[in-house]
Amino acid sequence: MTDPSSNTGRKIAAALVLAGLAAVFFNLVAVTRPSGELRTIKDYTPWSAATLAVAETLPVQDGGRIKPLATYAGFNMLAIHGARSLTVAGNDGKPLTLTPAAWLLDTLFRPHFAVEHPTFRVDNSAVLEAIGAKPRGKRDRYSYLDLEPGLDKLVELAAAYEQLDSKQRDALQQQILDLAYNVRDFESLLGQLDFARSGVVIGSEPNQQRIDISTVMTKAPKIREDIATAQREGKTERGPAEFLYQESAQAANLAMRGMNIFPPAAATERSWPSAGALIMSVLTGASPTPEPAIRDITTLEKTARALDAGEAEFLTELSALRDELTQRAGARGEGRHLALEAGYNRADWFLNAFVVFFIGALCAVAMWMAGAGRAGRILARTTLGCALGGLALCVIAIVERCLIMQRAPVGNLYDTIIFISAAGVLLALVIEGFTRRRFALGLAPILGTLLVFLSRRYEMGDPKDHLDPLVAVLASNFWLTIHVITITLGYAAGLLCALLSTLYILMRGLRLDRADGELRRILSVAVYGMVCLTLFLSLVGTVLGGIWANDSWGRFWGWDPKENGALLIVIWTLVILHARLGGFLKEWGLHFASAFTACVVVFSWWHVNFLGVGLHNYGFTAGKNVLWTFYLAMLGLIAFGTIAKWLESRRS
Amino acid sequence: MEHPPLPAAPKPPPTLATRLLGFLSGLGLATVLLVLLGLLTWLATLEQIDSGLHHTLRKYFDWRAWYLIPELGGKTVPLPLPGGYWVCALLALNLTLGGLLRWRRDWQRTGVLIAHLGIIYLLVAGAVAHHFSQRGHMLIAEGAASDAAEDYFEQVVEVAEVKDDKPAAIQVIGGKYLTDLTDAASRRVRLPALPFDVELSAYLPNAEVKALASGASPAGVAVIDGYYLLAKAAELNAEANTPACVARIVGRDGRNSEPFLLSSTARQPFSVRSDGRVFTVLLRKRLWLMPFSVRLDKFTAEFYPGTMKPSKYVSNITRSESGRDAKAVIQMNEPMRYANLTFYQASYQQLGQGPSARMASVFEVVRNPADKWPQYSLYVVTFGLLVHFITKLAGFIQDRPRPAQHD
Repeated sequence: MTDPSSNTGRKIAAALVLAGLAAVFFNLVAVTRPSGELRTIKDYTPWSAATLAVAETLPVQDGGRIKPLATYAGFNMLAIHGARSLTVAGNDGKPLTLTPAAWLLDTLFRPHFAVEHPTFRVDNSAVLEAIGAKPRGKRDRYSYLDLEPGLDKLVELAAAYEQLDSKQRDALQQQILDLAYNVRDFESLLGQLDFARSGVVIGSEPNQQRIDISTVMTKAPKIREDIATAQREGKTERGPAEFLYQESAQAANLAMRGMNIFPPAAATERSWPSAGALIMSVLTGASPTPEPAIRDITTLEKTARALDAGEAEFLTELSALRDELTQRAGARGEGRHLALEAGYNRADWFLNAFVVFFIGALCAVAMWMAGAGRAGRILARTTLGCALGGLALCVIAIVERCLIMQRAPVGNLYDTIIFISAAGVLLALVIEGFTRRRFALGLAPILGTLLVFLSRRYEMGDPKDHLDPLVAVLASNFWLTIHVITITLGYAAGLLCALLSTLYILMRGLRLDRADGELRRILSVAVYGMVCLTLFLSLVGTVLGGIWANDSWGRFWGWDPKENGALLIVIWTLVILHARLGGFLKEWGLHFASAFTACVVVFSWWHVNFLGVGLHNYGFTAGKNVLWTFYLAMLGLIAFGTIAKWLESRRS
Repeated sequence: MEHPPLPAAPKPPPTLATRLLGFLSGLGLATVLLVLLGLLTWLATLEQIDSGLHHTLRKYFDWRAWYLIPELGGKTVPLPLPGGYWVCALLALNLTLGGLLRWRRDWQRTGVLIAHLGIIYLLVAGAVAHHFSQRGHMLIAEGAASDAAEDYFEQVVEVAEVKDDKPAAIQVIGGKYLTDLTDAASRRVRLPALPFDVELSAYLPNAEVKALASGASPAGVAVIDGYYLLAKAAELNAEANTPACVARIVGRDGRNSEPFLLSSTARQPFSVRSDGRVFTVLLRKRLWLMPFSVRLDKFTAEFYPGTMKPSKYVSNITRSESGRDAKAVIQMNEPMRYANLTFYQASYQQLGQGPSARMASVFEVVRNPADKWPQYSLYVVTFGLLVHFITKLAGFIQDRPRPAQHD
């Protein structure tokens, strides 16, 4: 006969897990979706797929590497907009979803539309009030035109807050500063091709005449000569040559920052110039061979103006520009992975993995509820399929990232999250292979869901391109590579053993296991095994880190918080194993200690980065409260287990 | 007739030595020591935020620290804890005895014994490095050479005779004769090679020399020639501390000079005349002479294009020893190991401004007798743990329940 309390507990547990998953899902969706109404942009037409496909693979030098425009656009959009998609409506009122490339194409080539896009994410309406713009709802997005009335005030406030030490700024001041930086970056993109569209206008109505910047560049020697002559002759009035020079320099200035898209002819020159830099190099006479720069600017002017003749013409010019730049980059041995990276962006492997894991997590809950019948078997297979599917997507993404970065998979904090996602799921499936109780099987997609969710939230909070190259000390060292991978696997193992114990405590505490001694024994053995694996990986990883530090910096151990964090995992797992061996930890105790491992791992993996000291300090502070919530939750779980243990002993 | 079985002879009560051995090799002691070590590591990690690394390490892990009271966020935590050095020492003893005893009882624990030996080797490596390693840094400008590294922390008093405008016969008073001279303590340091001794007092680990004209001196602080030493809070980065003290020349004939101030920030040494000879007295970081000189031929710093993110630091050097020159390259992650010394590319500086500016490379110089021991210990530990876990895994697979028992 079924124990009624067990059924109730089972429902409570299922409800808890479902509530957690729902919170994760809505958290991920809520923060990326604006809360305001859909913006209609008059006469807006979306870019064709063909145009977007070409634009996405345009090479750009940014962050020290060559990347496709899609990546560049994606991180700019994520930083300014808080998401990698934006929805507007055209004349027919139907929603149109803009990809990062579409958003950037608008910003560069159709700024009259771009200024109407709800691009800027402002979470705090007090920011809008402070700068004198009209606030809308929470998490709403604002267009450049919405912010325009407050831009002067924004610049003024930002200049004042920039002088303050970052620790002294309050949240509002920081948000105002962030908005000011976002506006600056957006304006930089917005004005990038002004010169190509407008050139330099001379004369006054009705005899106005537009002169292309490329034409001004061609005449640069003569212009410089005329200016020098005027100066020699002591003329104080601005002559036409000086006017042209100054106007062109001003236009170049707008195109100076951001879009470094021109591979230089000289192989020794590693930095790609922007259009603004090319213009100035010719105007000032700094470039001994101005012809290639003039050709590049002419091509850009042609591309920008082709849009007047329609998108088909624009596509032809854009394709020619992309092919030319890609071919030149290829001749320098650069940009070999542009297509792969553009495909990586398009595929959005991790989002797909999240969806698959999430479905798997729902199936897992249903599987545990269904029990051992036919439905349970079907759900188990579906859960396994989802876990394997999500894992495959993560592995594909990690392998693609390695190919793009040309380095080992783990080099920064973002890399660790996705690596731990894949490793954690794989380990859970391996444990299931040994235990065959559908316990670890259900955990696999849940762990995958949580960690992929974490990676996306982290990326939103720190919208930097995590594929960018590593600093010198982290680059190319065998011991470092092995150390980072091993220690990261240790984190994965530690988290998994804590998760196994968490479910053990909940299961036994809520009396879901119907006092199945064999199930408990198997789980305890699995947790013990995972503690051993965590110890092995963390110990070897920690010592490898010391060996690397000794090779690179001359000291095996520097008491850096990150090193200490890894050592804490080693020590804690040793405590568990010795206490277990000595009989000080029985079954409940083993799981309490194992659940606490999650706190130790999270301290080492995340918390030390907030301390503001050491070589591994990432200098960020956002999200610290989440850590404390996590610690409290784990301690709450242990307290719950302690009460359950006491009640159990009373019953028996 | 059957005889009833004889009762087993009672076990003799364990001797004191057996009980002591049992305690020292016990898993209970191991667990407690590991918990303490974890607690110390965690607290030291947090305390270094406010107190700086150097101070925290001395407090938590120096052999002279028998016990400590932690502080978090500037507040004392009323929890006396044993010093980390001695916890590690006791742990090493426990590991040795425990590993050996348990292995004697059960040969299947061979893997654990090997791992224990590896950890002991690692702890010994740490102790050897702690007591016998030496570290310093050497800053060399392009085209210049140096044969001395400067210690990171130890401040010494150097007394030298000036001959031909150069310091000669340099006498060094070590830092240990200085650092305890706080409050009213003073010490006369005998210098038999010189015609005088030096008396040192009023040592301040971090101080600023202030002119009386800029404000009155605090009560009880000696004012010398219109200047006094103003104590400052210790820097979080202990290397940046600027110590100072009061010194006085004590003549053999009993005639003493007026006291004078010595500060590590002084641009010039203090000059003393004695018997018609000129001497200089200087407070500075200890210099460590190398058995060879290093000339920096070229320094290159490369950055990823379009960024200030470093991709490479390379120093091309010439090592000169006994009239022989050898070229070498020192770069990030690729140090130069020679004559039991290791030179690491630590950082770089630009000396001067404008056209006369020169690049300078900063090398960290280390002598560590236990340099590679952690690496060797890792091999031992990895092997031991693999043996143990594979044995355990094999046992688990053998004992695990049959698959597909859901129905």
